[in-house]
Amino acid sequence: MSDAGEEEVLTEQSDNKIARLPLLAALVALVGLGDAIYLTIHHYTGEKVPCSVTGGCEAVLNSSYAEIGGIPLAAFGAAAYFIAFSLAVLAAFGNRLMWKLFGFQVTVMAIFSVYLLYVQKYEIREFCQYCLLSAAVCVTLFAIALFSRFWRS
Amino acid sequence: MSNEKKNSNNSNNSSLPLVIIGLVLIAAIGGGWWLYNKNSTSSKSGNTAVANRAANTARTPPPNAPIGAQPPNLLGSPNAVVTVEEFADFQCPTCGVMHPKMKELTSIYGSRIKFIFRNYPLAIPAHDKAYDAAVAAEAAGLQGRFWDMQNLLFTNQAAWSSNPDYRKVWEEYASKIGLDVEKFKNDMAGLNAKSRVDADLQRGRALNLSSTPSIFINGVSIPFEQMNIETMRQIIDAELQKGQSNQQGQTTSGAPTSAAPTQSNTAANSAPKK
Repeated sequence: MSDAGEEEVLTEQSDNKIARLPLLAALVALVGLGDAIYLTIHHYTGEKVPCSVTGGCEAVLNSSYAEIGGIPLAAFGAAAYFIAFSLAVLAAFGNRLMWKLFGFQVTVMAIFSVYLLYVQKYEIREFCQYCLLSAAVCVTLFAIALFSRFWRS
Repeated sequence: MSNEKKNSNNSNNSSLPLVIIGLVLIAAIGGGWWLYNKNSTSSKSGNTAVANRAANTARTPPPNAPIGAQPPNLLGSPNAVVTVEEFADFQCPTCGVMHPKMKELTSIYGSRIKFIFRNYPLAIPAHDKAYDAAVAAEAAGLQGRFWDMQNLLFTNQAAWSSNPDYRKVWEEYASKIGLDVEKFKNDMAGLNAKSRVDADLQRGRALNLSSTPSIFINGVSIPFEQMNIETMRQIIDAELQKGQSNQQGQTTSGAPTSAAPTQSNTAANSAPKK
């Protein structure tokens, strides 16, 4: 992929302005960070999460897929969102390498989100609204990264 | 002059993102800590998520495991070749989620399976009413309405779990399903219902159960990710087929052989058949 689009996104740095797409990405990543922290805390306290939209949160969050090596998946998610947020903020202030890393990271996150959607649909057969929100955030971040690549390229 | 201004702007810009990232990190840790404390104190729960998580290793129950409450709470046919045995806790949210699935299974298979419900109230702070709820279900069972009470307890789990006057709520359920409420209250206080719960608990402990729901199909533990209708149907269908071919084998050969399923490694089969 050409870097033309990326340059366009970040050209505003020269004028000490903050790049809009990375800033938007940082804000979206904050939503994912909040969601993941919420789920991580609920995992450790064991309190039932409100689940009025999809109804399957307990089944999903208590499933064997909700942990990797004893660590809740949501904690990995929180770490990933924080890293994505940090990369986006650094990119917003002109660091192009960080924006490239951001693009790579959110691609991996989006692919993993698709896998988790598959697990919810076909393995557990229940959906968790918080997991769906997280998937939506990942896909949005991926879309922003993709958009910045192809923007006017 | 303009260069100096540019440099000063650059240095501000280079530290600003780090300041933002640092602030968000502090907010994330602080927010998480606040949420953790809030949840811990409000629910007094600490272990539900951990306790509910099914240990996914298949268990081989000891052949001499206690047989549980007799007669067991049973749906379907006592002579069916496939036994589905569920250990559940009335305050376990996942058991509540599983409840309609188990109902669906029992209605799909009817007399082709033997479904046994075992009480396995977990002794954890978050499940402080689970043992009493199991006793309530058994007390209703002493009047022949176990399944009605079991259904009400699961479908209204959130309502009575959070109600400090939960016994009153159960008495309302008892009245709703047509029980003699005075007898129900006496049975809840008496030993009959409790001893049935204790017998199920002993059986569950002998199987080393640490989480609910735990489901065994012909004595083999079902991992949590397989606790869905389709997978359990596949397992049950396979067991039914196996049972059928065993029966055919026996009728053609005229004698039971080693092809019969082993009794020693099956949890549900160690319960005496009625």
